[in-house]
Amino acid sequence: MARTPVTAAAVDVSRGGAAPAGASGAERISALAQRHGALVVLVAVVLVTSLSFDTFFTGYNLNRLAVNAAFLAIVALGMTFVIITGGIDLSVGSVFALGGVLAAWASQYGTLPALLVPVAAAGAIGLANGLLVARTRLAPFIVTLASMLGARGLMLAVSGEGNETYLVPQGSAFLELAQGGLFGIGYPVYLTLALFGLGGLLLRRTGFGQSVYAVGGNEDAAALMGVRVARTKLTVYLMSGLLAGFAGALNAAYLGSGVTILGFAMELDAIAAVVIGGTLLTGGLGYVSGSLVGVLLLKVIQNVINLIGSLSSSYQQVVSGLFLIAVVVAQTYLSRRRRIG
Amino acid sequence: MATYRARLARTGLAGLAALALLAGCARGEDAAEGGGSPEPADQGPSLRAADGETCTAEQYGVEPFDLAGSTVGFSQSEPEANPFRIAETASIREEAEARGIELIDTNAQGEFSRQISDVQDMIAQGVDLLIIAPLNSDGWEPVLADAAEQGIPIITVDRQINAEPCADYVAFLGSDFVEQGRRAADRMIEALGGEGQVAILLGAPGNNVTTERNQGFVDQIEAEAPGIEIVFEQTGNFSREEGQEVAEQLLQSNPDVDGIYAHNDEMGLGAITALQGAGREPGEVQIVTIDGTEGAVQAIIDGWMFAVIESNPRFGPLAFQAAEQFAAGEEIGVNLVIEDREYTQANAESDIANAY
Repeated sequence: MARTPVTAAAVDVSRGGAAPAGASGAERISALAQRHGALVVLVAVVLVTSLSFDTFFTGYNLNRLAVNAAFLAIVALGMTFVIITGGIDLSVGSVFALGGVLAAWASQYGTLPALLVPVAAAGAIGLANGLLVARTRLAPFIVTLASMLGARGLMLAVSGEGNETYLVPQGSAFLELAQGGLFGIGYPVYLTLALFGLGGLLLRRTGFGQSVYAVGGNEDAAALMGVRVARTKLTVYLMSGLLAGFAGALNAAYLGSGVTILGFAMELDAIAAVVIGGTLLTGGLGYVSGSLVGVLLLKVIQNVINLIGSLSSSYQQVVSGLFLIAVVVAQTYLSRRRRIG
Repeated sequence: MATYRARLARTGLAGLAALALLAGCARGEDAAEGGGSPEPADQGPSLRAADGETCTAEQYGVEPFDLAGSTVGFSQSEPEANPFRIAETASIREEAEARGIELIDTNAQGEFSRQISDVQDMIAQGVDLLIIAPLNSDGWEPVLADAAEQGIPIITVDRQINAEPCADYVAFLGSDFVEQGRRAADRMIEALGGEGQVAILLGAPGNNVTTERNQGFVDQIEAEAPGIEIVFEQTGNFSREEGQEVAEQLLQSNPDVDGIYAHNDEMGLGAITALQGAGREPGEVQIVTIDGTEGAVQAIIDGWMFAVIESNPRFGPLAFQAAEQFAAGEEIGVNLVIEDREYTQANAESDIANAY
């Protein structure tokens, strides 16, 4: 796979979160824009919406927005790692759906099986993705496209061609995990924040995180520096699978059933959120927190379009698409500037 | 802030009205009423309960309220890319406008998680009543819990939600799909004179619409016309392309087939393409379908189709009538049936304006 060479400065920015010492003011600003652009937009959108619609900034609305965003956010977390290595994981939507159906099926045996069965199955798919990408050096696009179809087929097989919807037994602790909450905030929100905290630490403060950036920055250079490229790749695809399966299980608990028509095009939403959050699609540069902001931005835009009411809901996709284009154009511009500078 | 919202709502309504006109309601759904059609549906909507189960606001646990001047939320499930969905949304919008009710509507574009958050959006906006066209029958727990907490009554249209009527939701309004199948069988018996071989193009598997439309047809044929043999049953997934493909296979394996019953118009139209491709003449194979789209009714006029049983998507008048009665504290049935028309050679030309 062809890689855009990323300068050492860019890698430094991604690690330290700020422009390297001696960088010009313009460079510092462009680094900040890359990092926090989505956050600025999110804050602006939330502010304007709160002032325009009195039903937006309410406890109920914010909580359920956050809970709804939690499932996509967990998927996007895994996707962030994959994209920083320069890869892509198209299987997450199908794995999410499979995870949900397996969780609902296994919930009749208790909460632990309801979590372990889907996570194990999703982990196996992630591992297979990782092995194929890392060892055979097949393009991640093709490998995960194949597993996307495979996981969807598996989901249909365990749900009788999608006709059988398993229900989570009423009153089980598994339901409470997603439907309950503390201080008016749903448990899925806490779980998501905890996972992102861990993800951030892993990416920024560990040797593994450095390998992830190095592999995405320049794979050959990373290999020469002694980074275990294959192992790093295998790990990120495994993580992505595990997280997608877990998100699916959590979603099944939220809905109280293993809905079989979920997860279509979810991989695209996850990729969009990651890119909007400032992670370069070419790899080597990215932030876990940005992906969280990206997911929230997508969900808030949907809410705003519904609030405006006179806009057809198709416009949500238009607006999200425009955002994506704006961000990608800005990214290209910024990284080109940095390279020239 | 309030005036801003009001202005938005006004522009919204104007936009909706324009959309409704564009969506083909200008064709004049009621224009044919004077045409002397004997169909009961043309005599204005009436609320018919499928069984004796009823519900009142008191039983449901909400205070009666005045529907006029309230806000109603409508959640559409699929993109308005097929005639059924277009007519359904337009009908809800028109009726809300006629009654002076503020309508907030959303479209989940076929994405289930989006429909969940769409409905929650409308709950957050403080709607007084929800009309939902569910994409899926299961997975509604968070929505039902939120609506119950806020005391918002829910009426579902065209598909059901798997939950307790008059507890989790108020009522379901939809077609009687078994009856549609029976009526299709009656027309098929008439077309074939009670003798012959019939093929069935099934809808998407595992869907209550498919099962019920088939059950009604097969039972009626068995009971009324033992001379008719069902020789072929295969799914065309409600799509025109697959309907054509399956019909092509049918013409190879059973060239002597006398009649085709398709679970929807699209597959029936696909079968016509297959017949044309095989060099058959109109009327050689009798076709009966269900839905009542313009293309299918036109096919009756052209002689390719024998009859079309309507699946009425115009839920607006009945849904709001039920909502009004419920809001006023009156008793309404929890399983409400919408009347479906029927198109044959006798009325296709005069009633095509009713097709959607």
